Amino acid sequence: MDFLNLSVSTSWWELSKPPLDISTNGHLIDSLFAYTTVLAVFYFILVCIGLFGFSFLYSYKRNKTPLYTYGNKKKHLLITAFIGAAVFLSVDLNITRLSNNDLLDVFWKWPNPKTEKVLRVEVMAQQWMWSFRYAGPDDQFGTADDIVTNNDLRVPTNTKILFHLTSKDVIHSFFVPNVRLKVDTIPGRVTRVWWDANIPGEYDIVCAEMCGTHHYMMKARLTVYSEEDFKGWMATSEKLAMNTNNPDDKNLAWGWKWEY
Amino acid sequence: MSGGYNEIHPEPTTFWSKYIISFDHKVIAKQFLWYGIAFLGIGGLMALLIRWTLAYPGEAFPVIGHLLFPNSAGIVPPDSYAMLFTMHGTIMIFYAITPILIGAFGNYCIPLMIGARDMAFPMLNMLSFWFAFLSGVVLLASLFLPLGAAAGGWTSYPTLSTMIGSPGAGQTLWCVAIFLFGVSSTMGAVNYVTTVITLRAPGMGYFDMPLTVWGLWLTAILNAIFVPVLGAGVILLTLDRVMGTTFFLAGASATSGSGDPVLFQHVFWIFGHPEVYILILPAWGIVSDLLSFFSRKPAFGAKATALSMTSVSVLSTIVYGHHMFTTQMSPLLTQSFMTLTMTISIPSAIFFANWLGTIWKGSIRFDSPMLFSLGVVFVFGLGGLTGLHLGTVTTDLYLHDTYFVVGHFHYTMAASVLLGGYAGIYFWFPKMFGRMMNETMAKIHFWGTMIPLNGIFFGMLMVGYGGMHRRIYNPFVYDSLKRLMPINEMITVSAILMGAFQIIFVINFLWSLYKGKKAPNNPWNVGTLEWTIPSPPVHHNYDVIPVVKCGPHEFGNPNLKTGRDFQYQTEELVQGPV
Repeated sequence: MDFLNLSVSTSWWELSKPPLDISTNGHLIDSLFAYTTVLAVFYFILVCIGLFGFSFLYSYKRNKTPLYTYGNKKKHLLITAFIGAAVFLSVDLNITRLSNNDLLDVFWKWPNPKTEKVLRVEVMAQQWMWSFRYAGPDDQFGTADDIVTNNDLRVPTNTKILFHLTSKDVIHSFFVPNVRLKVDTIPGRVTRVWWDANIPGEYDIVCAEMCGTHHYMMKARLTVYSEEDFKGWMATSEKLAMNTNNPDDKNLAWGWKWEY
Repeated sequence: MSGGYNEIHPEPTTFWSKYIISFDHKVIAKQFLWYGIAFLGIGGLMALLIRWTLAYPGEAFPVIGHLLFPNSAGIVPPDSYAMLFTMHGTIMIFYAITPILIGAFGNYCIPLMIGARDMAFPMLNMLSFWFAFLSGVVLLASLFLPLGAAAGGWTSYPTLSTMIGSPGAGQTLWCVAIFLFGVSSTMGAVNYVTTVITLRAPGMGYFDMPLTVWGLWLTAILNAIFVPVLGAGVILLTLDRVMGTTFFLAGASATSGSGDPVLFQHVFWIFGHPEVYILILPAWGIVSDLLSFFSRKPAFGAKATALSMTSVSVLSTIVYGHHMFTTQMSPLLTQSFMTLTMTISIPSAIFFANWLGTIWKGSIRFDSPMLFSLGVVFVFGLGGLTGLHLGTVTTDLYLHDTYFVVGHFHYTMAASVLLGGYAGIYFWFPKMFGRMMNETMAKIHFWGTMIPLNGIFFGMLMVGYGGMHRRIYNPFVYDSLKRLMPINEMITVSAILMGAFQIIFVINFLWSLYKGKKAPNNPWNVGTLEWTIPSPPVHHNYDVIPVVKCGPHEFGNPNLKTGRDFQYQTEELVQGPV
C-alpha cells in the first residue's frame, strides 16, 4: 500500500493541486475556486462548531434538562433569516457576480479574427480520436490546402486560439486541464471555446464526456510552441499538406465553412 | 380531515395473500426494504469492482475476479467497466435508494405516522412493488445478454445510447426497466400524495405531521410530476433505438433526418435534478425528526423547516440547466440557471440552522439513529457546500465531468441518503419487526461507515480538483494523472473498509430479526402516533383512529406531570408557564 508510505515527499494536498496553468485566464477559475472554497470552509466550520460543540455541551450527561422552545419566537426567526440571508449575500451573490464578470469579460468575449491575432482551429471528435484542422495558406476552411492533424494539436504562445468544434458520432467533451476549460462537442452542432497558452511544452487533451468503451483512451497531445517554432512547424506542414492532401480523400473532407 | 376511505380490511389468511400479493402497507414496506437492501449489496459490489480497477489497473479483482471475468484472467475489461459504472449508478439511484427511502419508509411511516389504517389505494401499492420487481428482473437480465448491459452511463446521453454507440439490446432493456420503474414510482407517488391529503387522523393539520411525512410527501409530489418526464424521455430513446426515429440523432449517422441529442439532456435533467431532491427529501425529513427526538427537545422552527423543504422542492424544478453548462446553452439560459441554482442556498441554510438549533441546549442521547442523523448533517454540509463550485459556471467549466462532481453528488445523494436510511432503519426496526437491533454493533457500524465514507468521497473531491475526469477505465493512461495514484489507492482501500463494515449491519439486521430483544411499544420514548400502538402493529394498525391534539415534537415541557418527558400526539398539550 504505497499510500501509507509517509516518506513520500509530496503531500496529498500538493498532489491534488490542478495541473500547471498555462493560459492567461486559467487563474480566474483557480482563484474563484479558491475564493469559493474559503467561503465554503468558513460556513462548514460554523456547521461543525454547532454540530460537535452542541453535541459536547448538551449531551445527556452534561445537560439533563433540555430547553423547551419551538424556535419560533421572533428572535429565533430573525436569527434563522439572518443566516439564510448571510449565506446568500456573502457566498452566492458574490461568486455568481464574479463568475458572470469572468464570463462576460473573458470567456464569452470571443476574439475577432479580423481585428486581433487569432489562430482558428476546427475540431472534430469521433470515437475515439480528435482531429484538428488549420485553414492553411488560403485562410479558408474546407479547402484542399487545409492542414489536418489527428490527436496532435500544436499552437503558438501569445496567440488567442479560437476553436469551433463538432462531433461525428457521439457527444465528446474537449477538455484541456492545463487551461481549465472544457466544452462539449455535439453531433449536429458547432460549439466554441477560446484560450491561449503561454508556456511552451507538451500537455494532455482529454475527452471528458463518456463516449464509449475506449473513452479513457481518447487523448490528444497539445504542443505549445514559441511563436517562431510554430511558424516553422506551420511552414513545413503547409508544404506537406499541399503535396500530400488528396482532394478525393473523404476522410479529409470534414471541414466546414467558418462562420461568425 | 379524515375524509378518506379508512375502514378495516379483513386480515389475509393465506401465505400468498399475506406475504406475496399483499395489500398491507407494512408488508409492502418490508418487501421494498428487502428488495432495496439486496440491490444495495449488488450496487455496492459494483462500486468495489470500479474502485479496484481505478487503483490497481490491470490487476485481477481478488477472490471473485476469476469467477466474474474468466476471459480476462479476473481483470475487469474496459467494456465491462463501462457497464459496471452505468449499472452502479442506475441500481443505486433507482433500485436501492428509491425502494429503501421512498418504498420502505414511505409505505411504513406515512400511514402509521398520520394515523391511517392503510394507504389510500392499497391495490395500487401492491402493483407498485410488483412493477418495481419486474423492472429489477429486466435490469438484471440485461447483464446476461451477449453484448452486455447498458454502458452509456446512468444518464444515457444519446447519441451514445442510440444504436450508434450502443448496439446491444442491453440499452433497450435499460430503457424498458427504467420505464417500468417509473410506472412503479408514479403509482407509489400518487398513492402517497393522496394518503397524506385524505387520511390524516382527525385533528392533524399539515404542520402537525412529523417532518418525516413532510419529506416523503414532498418527494411523492416531485415524483408524480417528474418521473413521467423521464418515462417520456426513455420512450423516445427506445423509439430511436428500435423504430428508426431520429428524435435524438444527429451527426454523420443521422442519414434519415436529424434530431438533437441535447434535447434528451433537457428532458433527462428536468427530471434528473428534482430526482436528487426526491432521493434526499425523505432523509432530510427523517433527520429533522430524529434530531428533535433524541435531543428531547421540540424541533427548532419546525414550520420553517417544512416550508424550506417545500421551497427547495419548488426551486429544484427550475435549476436543472446547471448540469448542462458545458453544452453551451445560450448565455441567457446559462446565467439564469446559475443564479437560480444559487437561490437554493437560502432554504438550505435555513433548515441547517434549524437542525443545529434543534440540538442546541438539548439533552442529547447518542443512540445509533441519532449518530447517523448527526452524520447526515456533517456529510450533507460538505456535499451542499461543494455544490457551490459546480453551480458557478466558470469553475464548473473546469470541474464538470471530473471526480469533483462524483465526490459532490456522492456526498449529497449517496452518503447523506445512506446515513439517513440507516438512521431510519435503526429507528423503525423495533416497530417494523417487534425486536430491537443490537446497539453496540450499530455503533461500530456507524463509525465503520462514517470514517471510510469521508475517505472515499473527500478523496474523490481531491482527485477531481487534480483534474481526473470521470468514467475512465484507466486514469494512468495520462501522464498528468499518474501523480494521483496514491489518493486513488486511498479511496479504494476506504471503499473496501466501508464495504466490510456493512457486513456488520447485515449480521445485526438478520440476527436481531430472530434473536433481538423484544421491543416495547415505544422504545425511544417518542410521541408520534406509530409509537402509541404495539410493535409490530396489528394488521389494521389502529383499533380506533386516533385523534391528534398536539404536534409531533413535544419534549421537555416543564409543565408535564406524567413522569414522562414527552407527550403523545393524542394528548392535549399541557399548558402553563414556561
